[in-house]
Amino acid sequence: MSPAGEGTTRRTILSRTILTGTAAASFMASTRLGWAASKVEPVSMIINQSPWLDSIRKLVDLYEKETGNRIDVDVEPFAGSLEKQRNSVRSKQGTDDLLIMNSGWFAEMYFGGFVEPIHDIDPGFKLDPELYTLGDTIYFDARNKTMTPRGKLMALPFAPIIPMLYYRGDLYKQAGLKAPDTFAELEANARRFHKPPGMYGIVQRGARGPHTVAFDFYPYLYGFGGSIFKDQPAGDYAVTLNSEAGRVALDYYIRLAREAGHPKTSTFDQAEVLQNFVSGRAAHVLTVIAAWSQMDDADKSAIVDKAEFAPPPHAPGLPTAPGLGHFVAGVAKNVPDGRKRAAVEFLRWFQTRDTQVALAKAGGMPVHAAAYRDPIAEERRFRWMKPLAAALPKAVNIYQFPEANEVIVILELGLNRAIASETGSVAALNTMAGQIYEVMAKYNYKTARLAPLT
Amino acid sequence: MATSLRRQGDEPAWRWLTSAPAFALMLALGVLPLLNLLAMSFANVAWSNGAATWSFVGLANFRAVAVDPLFRAGIVNTTIFAILAVAGQMALGFVLALLSSRVRHGRIVYRTVFILPILLPGIVIGAIWKLIYNYDFGLITQLLAAFGLEPIDWLGQPTMALVSVILVDIWHWTPFCFLLLLAGIESLPQDVYEAAEVDGVSWWQELVHITLPMMWPTIAVTAAFRLVLAFKVFDEVYLLTGGGPGTATEVVSFTIYQRFFTEDRVGLGSAMSVAVILVVGALLALALAARRRAAPA
Repeated sequence: MSPAGEGTTRRTILSRTILTGTAAASFMASTRLGWAASKVEPVSMIINQSPWLDSIRKLVDLYEKETGNRIDVDVEPFAGSLEKQRNSVRSKQGTDDLLIMNSGWFAEMYFGGFVEPIHDIDPGFKLDPELYTLGDTIYFDARNKTMTPRGKLMALPFAPIIPMLYYRGDLYKQAGLKAPDTFAELEANARRFHKPPGMYGIVQRGARGPHTVAFDFYPYLYGFGGSIFKDQPAGDYAVTLNSEAGRVALDYYIRLAREAGHPKTSTFDQAEVLQNFVSGRAAHVLTVIAAWSQMDDADKSAIVDKAEFAPPPHAPGLPTAPGLGHFVAGVAKNVPDGRKRAAVEFLRWFQTRDTQVALAKAGGMPVHAAAYRDPIAEERRFRWMKPLAAALPKAVNIYQFPEANEVIVILELGLNRAIASETGSVAALNTMAGQIYEVMAKYNYKTARLAPLT
Repeated sequence: MATSLRRQGDEPAWRWLTSAPAFALMLALGVLPLLNLLAMSFANVAWSNGAATWSFVGLANFRAVAVDPLFRAGIVNTTIFAILAVAGQMALGFVLALLSSRVRHGRIVYRTVFILPILLPGIVIGAIWKLIYNYDFGLITQLLAAFGLEPIDWLGQPTMALVSVILVDIWHWTPFCFLLLLAGIESLPQDVYEAAEVDGVSWWQELVHITLPMMWPTIAVTAAFRLVLAFKVFDEVYLLTGGGPGTATEVVSFTIYQRFFTEDRVGLGSAMSVAVILVVGALLALALAARRRAAPA
């Protein structure tokens, strides 16, 4: 063997060693094998009641069993969780270390300086590249007040809650139909199955609530190419709700409710929507994916094995646009350093592929793309996984500013009144747009408004 | 020290000293939060870098309260709600108390049954009635269907929704009125009734000329209590209608909750709270004045 050849061999060996090492490291990092269990302080996690809470409890049990570390889970009602988190982060020393924050309030936590960036706790923390970043809402650029990867890593995705289309697979099969892709197909299919009061073509949310009718309307608004603001990620908060696309979306939503939906849509929240679907009285509903586990539970459902899932429909030429109603997990700034590090240890474990597969098996929704490629995604029980994986990259972050709740209150009232026929769609859109403009102007955002629709 | 104070005959100082812990507790739990609320009502509180920044805004929050569409709707609805609900509860409670006062057997049983609704938390009552009112599966819908009748949209029509919430409140709080009024009726002097019987007065004359005048102080206090509580209604509305449809069942407590907690606008929420405290205080003062006027000299 020539020296040159010997050198080449050495280089080859060296490069192969590096490649093998890198591949092994990548593999180890994506599984819990690579996660070195270190003994850390107990962590207090605050989380809200939800249909997926049980899966998180099971996961916490698994973490404690595998590592010997302790997680104290503090469960609160949804609104109560926000209140308790606010009280904790605003006090001199917080009681809650790991905050499970909903899309309705993580902006408030980021902007208020209540969440410690993860790399400030552990500069060596590596975010798994296959995690869904959910509209990049895990980042925050404090200087530009935007959520983009240019900002700091503030949290990890925790529950990828988005609305999905649930439809009756058995009815579709009998009729020889395929899952609706566009709004026109959804409307045609809903009309076809609409035989009230035994069967409604679709059941929608129309009630005024904390985030009820507005959340239901987002996939329609954005799916028709409308929006609330012109370019939120770029900091352009010009109000575009009362655009032509907005009018088409609201007219469609109301038409669907009146002509193929439930007569009491204006009073329906998520509970009534699900009630109608699991009792077999609705052919379609657009509701959060978190409800999937109820569909095949014979104690709760009369349509076991009959529900199918699809991304929310959209207008031709536009992508599906489910609004994010997700949760992220961040570490409170005002807790002792030891507990911050312990919370990050849990997050490091949580983001691995194996943990995420275990989460799915426990009834939760993974935030890791590889979990959706796992063989379990082929199982009948997990038939929601592929449609969810298709929809997640298209999910839209509706709000990235802390005053979002003021906008939501405006939308809830305006949309409810339009659906209840107290006002027309054009008047409702113009009124809501005007009020949202006033909110944004009040807080000195770069804003503008469109000429009123006529 | 206490002994020496008493020895010196300094009774007022001793009384103040022994009352001080109670006063301090009341100050800490009652007065200080109120003062804090008042201070917040003149301020805007913003959070940045984990710290609160208070800025004095004068009467801006109170001006915002005056033009807040939800608060205005809330005041109107709450007034209608309080008047109708309390009137219903008082009328029913009084009739039940009158009838019950004549019952001699099974008092424990019927009183226990009557007071059951007030033992339940409002949030549970809201949940129960939401199921009862449910358009598709509710108990009333099923009863109507058994007679071949169409279901009624109890919570979906603006006028019907407020009436439905009032009916739930009447069901919830009539036992409270019943208990207080029954205690009042049972404590009325029996010799007056015996004299009336000797004079041969009718049932109606006895009610109008004897029972009602003597019961007036009890009625005034019961109504005042209930008015104050009715003005604070929240949980039933929160669960049954969420303030909708539109603003048909918006009540002030719900508006305050939204502005204060959901939107985190503590200045505006505090100003609304102060306004409501003033209204409720005025109601209470009116009721107490009415009681004083009606009380026998």
